[in-house]
Amino acid sequence: MTLRRDAMSIRILGAFGVALALHAIGTALIPGYSAPFAIRAMLVIAALLAVASVGQTLVVILGGIDLSIPFVIGFANVVAAQLYGQGWHFALVCVVVFGLAGLIGALNGALSRGLNIHPLIVTLGVGMIVQGLVLIWTKGFPSGSAPKAVSAFVSIGGHFGPLPVPALIPALVVLTLLILLVLERTPYGRQLYALGANPGAAPYALIRPLRIWTVTFAISALFAALAGVLLLGFTGSAYGDVGQPYLFQTIAAVVVGGAALVGGRGSFVGTLAGVLVLTEINTLLIGLNFAPASVQAAFGAIILLLVSLYGRERHFRTTV
Amino acid sequence: MTRILGRNGFALAILAVLLAANLMMNPARFHPAAWGTLLGMAAPLIGAALASTPVILAGRGGIDISVGPVMGLVGAVVIKLLFLGAGISSPFLLWPAALAIGAAIGAFNGFMAVVVRVQPIVATLGTYLILGGVTLTILPAPVGPAPDWLKAMAGGWSFLPLGLIALSWCALTRLPFHGQLMAVGSDDRAAYTAGVNVSLVRFLAYVLTGLLAGAAGMMLTALIGSADPKVGANYTLIAIAAVALGGVSLAGGRGGLLGAAIGAIDIFLLQSLLTTLNVSTYVLQVAYGAILVTAVVLIALQDRHAERSPA
Repeated sequence: MTLRRDAMSIRILGAFGVALALHAIGTALIPGYSAPFAIRAMLVIAALLAVASVGQTLVVILGGIDLSIPFVIGFANVVAAQLYGQGWHFALVCVVVFGLAGLIGALNGALSRGLNIHPLIVTLGVGMIVQGLVLIWTKGFPSGSAPKAVSAFVSIGGHFGPLPVPALIPALVVLTLLILLVLERTPYGRQLYALGANPGAAPYALIRPLRIWTVTFAISALFAALAGVLLLGFTGSAYGDVGQPYLFQTIAAVVVGGAALVGGRGSFVGTLAGVLVLTEINTLLIGLNFAPASVQAAFGAIILLLVSLYGRERHFRTTV
Repeated sequence: MTRILGRNGFALAILAVLLAANLMMNPARFHPAAWGTLLGMAAPLIGAALASTPVILAGRGGIDISVGPVMGLVGAVVIKLLFLGAGISSPFLLWPAALAIGAAIGAFNGFMAVVVRVQPIVATLGTYLILGGVTLTILPAPVGPAPDWLKAMAGGWSFLPLGLIALSWCALTRLPFHGQLMAVGSDDRAAYTAGVNVSLVRFLAYVLTGLLAGAAGMMLTALIGSADPKVGANYTLIAIAAVALGGVSLAGGRGGLLGAAIGAIDIFLLQSLLTTLNVSTYVLQVAYGAILVTAVVLIALQDRHAERSPA
């Protein structure tokens, strides 16, 4: 166990090292790369991706995958704007959005585990239904906006007390500590790792797989909905496809952060490292004036390179 | 035989219902004289679903999300570089070129997934992004037209590529490779201890997926009659949905190309029916999702029932 933990820490440190190295390259090549405003912008963009990746991290530790994240982000983004625009109190809007998101996630987890269907298919199907229903409801033209408080919470130019960053950043630090606490020190967290590491043995330790899957997928959808509402504050107006870039980015962040998609391994600190790496790569490539098409290609190549360097799986032969 | 029918049962039932509904609502479109065109319209999705199947059958998280972008790249290279650029118009050069592109990318994916041992969804995600970027660089905007013989493959000759794939797959199922693929997919450790070269079988599954994706790219190019850098990638997820609908287990080792094709035809017929009924694309989206979830739930319930009462 200690040996695996050490290997895990090395992966995470490696990912942070790569992020730092990328930042150094950016600073050397691009004027203004380390300017306060640029760093603040990167932090906010990274923090939004980090919030969207919380759920993917938990689900991957469990040995699952959640493709409904972009659809739930879009759902929360559009529904929150629409209801708030109709004059609802924002607290009530949040109750409705997060309540529905939790139900969507719970359905994902319960169907996948209860009927033993691959979560990739369940979350994809449920996600498509959710997106379609939102489109039908808004007739494809969402309206409305975010309350000022949400916009200020994520604004790149915002301040939090004496800190020159919006409140989102300290909030993410607190969230990270909370997640660490839950994963390392609570029965839920330990059961999550145990079930992910050995789904066959976990029930003998009185872990109830169906319950853990339902709860975890519900949490995943809740954080996706949170990301959707924060993105509404960030961009100012509702957009149903706002979550689409997050489909593969959350998976990439989790994997670059050292988690194994087969389950039982991963940590949110690792995911944060992965998020920083992805944000640095993106900013660097755009800063170097690559065309969007080349940015995308280079992004793919770098993900492959990084994962080949330190995200390799054991040979299945060692599991015989 | 009943077992095969059983796994495809729901997809077949949906097929029968949708076909009947389509025939009633839109007899002209489903008139025998229009079957070629009809198959041509369904062909890219069928091709993409067929392509997605071999790696999924190989198990252990095997999946190839780069199938859609391969289709886009094939169109870009074949039309922009080879046909319009180099003036090559012979089907006997363009088809092998398309298949070679697909096979090469499949081999790269296989190398990443089997030799470097990157998790397949991440390895093929990398390829997905690279191919999308390369395609847009080669072909910033749609160009055309496609050669006439290729456009005919979306009309009267549309049965030819799909028929050849069907024949090749039938031949392949007679070879030891097919048994080994299913064995590796259902229990790779048992297959390994029985002396199967698990890594080689998995690698070949990726190459096969690439080859089929290349063919699907040609069918897509035939249908739209030109090359478009943006359409290909859309096929990835819907093709995987078709595969699951057709009773192929995402855990590997169960199902086959026939099921995947039926799943794809189901989705096509649903699309066709809802378009005839003038339903908005939003409803179509909900219907896709609902059919997919219902079908996998029913298949799962049936599997559970079968386990409880072994015949």
